[in-house]
Amino acid sequence: MRSDVLIIDDEPAIRRLLVGALDRIGISHAEATNASEALRLAKLQPSPIVALLDLGLPDRDGLEIVPQLAALGIAVIVLTAREATEEKVAALDLGADDFVTKPFDSEELLARVRSALRRRAGPLADTALREFADGTIDRETHAVTLRGEKVELTPREFNLLWALADRPGRVVTHESLLETVWGPAHRQHLDYLRVAIRSIRRKIEQDPSNPRLIVNEPGVGYRVAVNQGLRV
Amino acid sequence: MADQQPNNDAERFLRLVRAEERGRLTVYLGAAPGVGKTYRMLQDAARRQAEGVDVVVGVAETHGRSDTALLLEPLEVMPRRYYDHEGHRLEEFDIDAALSRRPELILVDELAHTNAPGCRHPKRWQDIAELLVSGIDVATTINIQHLESLNDIVAGITHVRVRETVPDNILEHAEIIAVDLPPEALIERLVAGKIYLPETAGRALSNFFTPTKLAALRELALRYAASNVDRRLSNQLELSGEGGGFVCGDRLTVAVSPGKGGAQVVREAKRLADMLHAPWTAVVIESGSARAVYGAQREQLADNLALASSLGASLMTVAATDVGQALVDQARELRASQIVIGKSRRSRWFEWRHGSIAHEVIRKAKDVSVHVVPVEEADEKPARPKDPYSQRNNIFAFGLVAFTILGLHFAQPLISRSAIDLVLLLPVIISATFLGMRPGIWASIWAALGYNFFFTQPLYTLDIYSTADVVTFIVLFAVAVIIGGLAGKVRRQAETSAGVARLNASLARFAGLMGGLSDRDDTARVACSEIGGLLDVEAIIVSIEDDGLVVRGNEHYRQLDVVDEAAAKWALENGVPAGRDTGTLNAADWQFHPLKTALGMMGVLGIARPSQQRVIRPDDATLLASLVDQTALAHERLVLEARAREVDALQQRDQLRGALLGSIAHDLRTPLTSVIAATDAIPSEGSFASEVLIAREESRRLQRFLNDLLEASRIEHGEIQPNMESVDMTDVIAAVLRDLRQAGPDTRVETAIDADCPLIHTDALLLRHVLINLIDNALKFSPRSSKILVEFDCRDDDLALRVLDRGPGLPPDSAALFDRFERLEGTDRVGGSGLGLWIAKNFVEAVGGSIAAENREGGGAMFAIALPLARGVSEETADHA
Repeated sequence: MRSDVLIIDDEPAIRRLLVGALDRIGISHAEATNASEALRLAKLQPSPIVALLDLGLPDRDGLEIVPQLAALGIAVIVLTAREATEEKVAALDLGADDFVTKPFDSEELLARVRSALRRRAGPLADTALREFADGTIDRETHAVTLRGEKVELTPREFNLLWALADRPGRVVTHESLLETVWGPAHRQHLDYLRVAIRSIRRKIEQDPSNPRLIVNEPGVGYRVAVNQGLRV
Repeated sequence: MADQQPNNDAERFLRLVRAEERGRLTVYLGAAPGVGKTYRMLQDAARRQAEGVDVVVGVAETHGRSDTALLLEPLEVMPRRYYDHEGHRLEEFDIDAALSRRPELILVDELAHTNAPGCRHPKRWQDIAELLVSGIDVATTINIQHLESLNDIVAGITHVRVRETVPDNILEHAEIIAVDLPPEALIERLVAGKIYLPETAGRALSNFFTPTKLAALRELALRYAASNVDRRLSNQLELSGEGGGFVCGDRLTVAVSPGKGGAQVVREAKRLADMLHAPWTAVVIESGSARAVYGAQREQLADNLALASSLGASLMTVAATDVGQALVDQARELRASQIVIGKSRRSRWFEWRHGSIAHEVIRKAKDVSVHVVPVEEADEKPARPKDPYSQRNNIFAFGLVAFTILGLHFAQPLISRSAIDLVLLLPVIISATFLGMRPGIWASIWAALGYNFFFTQPLYTLDIYSTADVVTFIVLFAVAVIIGGLAGKVRRQAETSAGVARLNASLARFAGLMGGLSDRDDTARVACSEIGGLLDVEAIIVSIEDDGLVVRGNEHYRQLDVVDEAAAKWALENGVPAGRDTGTLNAADWQFHPLKTALGMMGVLGIARPSQQRVIRPDDATLLASLVDQTALAHERLVLEARAREVDALQQRDQLRGALLGSIAHDLRTPLTSVIAATDAIPSEGSFASEVLIAREESRRLQRFLNDLLEASRIEHGEIQPNMESVDMTDVIAAVLRDLRQAGPDTRVETAIDADCPLIHTDALLLRHVLINLIDNALKFSPRSSKILVEFDCRDDDLALRVLDRGPGLPPDSAALFDRFERLEGTDRVGGSGLGLWIAKNFVEAVGGSIAAENREGGGAMFAIALPLARGVSEETADHA
C-alpha cells in the first residue's frame, strides 16, 4: 500500500499529532523514528510523495538525509525551531521543499502538505504560466495579472516575481533569489532584494505596509502566497 | 648601583613625569637664626595667596616676634597636634591633617626639627618628604649648619657639633632661596633683642654670633645656594635632553669603614661627588677577619652606611679577604674614576704590623684617582673578642712540643743531631696550621727553648754558643709566623666561602620549603620560623583582609599594638619598609618589610628582636632581602593557585549550566510543542470553547516564558551575536503580526507604518523578539477593549519604532523598568517572566539602538526604540545593478 506522507520524528507525541491530523483529512502515511528507518521506508516502491522531517534525530543529523530524500523525488518539509534560521537555509539549500516552524499550527502544516502533494501530483500544465494568490504571471507574454488587472513591472521585478511564483507557497532563500535575478556576483547584496521587493509590493499589494502576497521569512527568504482555495 | 647614565630617552621622560607629579620644595636657607627666613617665607606665601594659590600654614615659628606674627594673620593656620611626653605637652605638625586638607602650598617651618616621640616620622624632613610625594608643594626654612654634608665643616667653624641634621638629597631638587643678612646687621638685631630674649642673647653673642663665625657661615650658605642653582640647571638640561654631552663621566666610590671616622669619610665623599656632579657608591668590604672583629662596631658601620644612603649614595657590600685589592677591583668594576678612602693617624709601628689599606689602594690603583681623607680620631683597634679556646690551644701546643722533645730525647742515640731541629719543626707547623698563629708562635718558643735546653751544647742549660742554634731559633719562629699567617688566611677564605655556601644553601632550602605549601597559614608559619631561625629574630606576616589586619606565622604574636599596627599599615600602603630602625614610625617594636609581587601587595613581613640591638645586622640585609622576595613569591603562587582553582570551578559550573539549559531546551520545549499543536487542533467551538482557548493561551505563555529564560541565559553569557543585514522594517512588523495571528485571532494590534523608510542595518530576528516582548507586555497591562499601536517612522539618522498602549502607564519609579525581574507594582496577577523588557533592552543595544519608556498623553505607556539607519540604497541602484 502506498503511503503519501512519511513522518520522520523520534518524538511519539509529535508523531501521534501528525498522524491524527493527516488521518482527519484522509492522507495515507508511514512513520519512521530515526534516519536509517526513514531512508529504508523512502526507498520502498511506490515511494512516499512528501516527507515531514524533524531535524533532531537520534542516529544522525536530519540535515544529512535531506539530499538523499530529495534525490528520491520526495518533497521534504522540515520541522524546525523558529530561531534556527541557519538550519532552515541549510535545509532549503540541500534540496528541502519547505519548512514549518515549531510549535506548528496543524492547519498551516496540512496546507503545506496539501500544496506539496498537489505539486507532485502532476507537472504544471502550462509551463509558462504560474499562479499565486489573487494573480498569475506569464513568462511568455511577461504579463502579470492581479485580480483581473494588468500590472506593470520592470524586467528585474518581473524576474524576481517569477522566481518566487515558480515555487508557489514555498520559501526561496535570499541568496537563491539574488543569484537567479541579479547573478552570482550579487549573492550578498541583500539590500538590492529588499528594495526590489518593496517596489513590487507597492504595485501588487493592497496594503504595502501589511504585505500578504509576498511574505518574508526573517533571516531565510521570501515566499509568494498561494491561493488558499486550491485543493489537491 | 648608581648606574644612571641618562642617555635613555624613556628613562629621562619618566623622570620628567615624576618630577612633575611630585610637589615642589622651596627652602629658605640662612646662615644663622634671626636672618629673617620665616619672615621672608610668610611674605612670599601672602603673595602666592593673593595670586590665588591655596596656601596653608602647617607650622610657622614666630619666636614671639610681633612683625612675623602680623604676617600670619591673612593666612590659614592649621591647628597643631599635641603629644604627651613624660608629662610635657608637645605641639607638633599634624601631617595627617595636612594630607587630608591637601592645600596647593603648605608652609612647614624648620626643616631640621626633630619630632616628638610618637609622631609618624622621627624627623620633620620626613614629614615634608611625604607631603612632596603626595603632590603638595612645601615651603620650609633651614640654617646652613643643619645640612648633613656640611656637618664637619660647620663643627670646624663653630666648635659645636649640630645634632639635628637633614640629609642633603632632600634639598637636591628644591628651589633654594638664600636669605642673607650681613653679620653686623644680624648682631645688631640680636643686641636689639629681635632674635632671642635678652639673657639668651648674651650667651649667644659670646658663643655663636661672633662676626668671624657668622661671616664663615654666611659664605658657606651662599656657596651652597650657588652650587644648588648650578646643579638644578644641569638637572634641567639633562631632563630636557639639551645637555646631551653635558654629563661628565666621573664616578666615585667610597670605602666605608666602621667607626666615627667612617662617617667623616662619607661626608667628604658626598662633597666631592657634588663638586664633580658624579654618582657615587659606598662600598663595604667584608673580610673574614672583619667579620670576627666587629661587634658593637657593626652598629656604627650600619649607621655610616645609612648616612651614605641618605646622602644619595648607592650601597654595595662585597665579601673578600684582601680589602685593598677588593676596593680597587670594585672601583674598576663600577668604572669609578675616583676612590675616597679614610686614613687614620696611626703609629708607623701599627701600620707596619697591620698594613695600611690606604697605601695598598694607592699602590694598586692604576687609572683611578685616590682621595685620602685624614680621619681625626684614631680608630682604636677594637678589642679582639677573647677566643675561648686560646688557653686550651696554647696548652695543647705546649704539650705537642713537650711530647716531641721527650721523644727526641729518648730517640737521640738513633738519629743524627741535624735531624733534631727538622723534627722540631713538626709541632710548630702543626700548631700554627691547626691551632692558629698565637699557639704556633708559642710552640716555636717552647721548641726553641727545649732545643736549647736538651740538645745544644752546653746541655741542660739555656746558654747559646753556636750561631747555628740562633739560626734554628729564627727559622722556627719564622715558620710559625708564616704558616700561621697562611693557614689563617686559608681558614678565613674557607669561612667566607662557607658562609656564602651556607647562605645559598639556606636560601635554596627556604625556597624548597615554600614551594611545597598550599595554604596561607602554613606558608606564613614555615616562612616565619625559617626566617626567625636564619636571622635570629622573631618573624610574623601581616596582611589586610576583610576584617582588618591579620597576623600570621607566629603563635606567640597574634595581636599588634597601635604603633605596630600603624607601621604595618603604612608599609602595606606605601610599599616601603616601616617600623623599628626605619625612617617611619620607628617607635614600633617590629620592622615591617613589604611583600611586593606583580600581583600587588601580598602583606608585610614583620621582624623583631627582643633586645635593644638593631633588628637586622647590615651583613644580613642581603639575606633578608632574598628571604622577603622568596616569601612574597610563595604568597603570589598561593594566589595564582587559588585563581586557577576558581577558574576550574567556574568552568565546571558553566558546563553544568550548559547541560541544564540544553535539557530545558529539549525536554521542556518538545512536549510543549505537542501540547500547543494538540490544543490548536481542538476546534474552539461548542461547550468547551473557553477551556480550549485558555489551554491555547496558557500553553503559548508557557512557551514564551521558556524562550525568555533561554534568551536571558544567552545574554548573560554573552552569546548574543547579532547577525546584521539589510532589513525592511515592514517585513519585521509583518512577521510579528503573523506570529500574533498564529497565537489567536487577536485584533487589538494596529500598525501605523512609514512605508518610505529606508532599509536599516540590523538583526531582524532580534528585533522580532523585541517587538513580540513589547507587544506582549502591552497586551498584558492594558484593558482587553483597548488597542495596541505599533508604529515606526524615520528621522534624520534613525528609525523610531514605538509600541503604545492604553494601560495604567509606567510606575512612578520606572528607572528600574528594564532590569531583570522587575514588574510593575502590584501587577502579579497579570503574570509574565519579568524578563521581557530586560531582554528587549539587551537585544536593542546589541544591534546598536536604544530603548526608552515614557507615559503617553491621554493614559498608557509608550516604549520607543531608536535604531540607526543604514546608508540607504536607492531603489534605482537596486533595480539597475
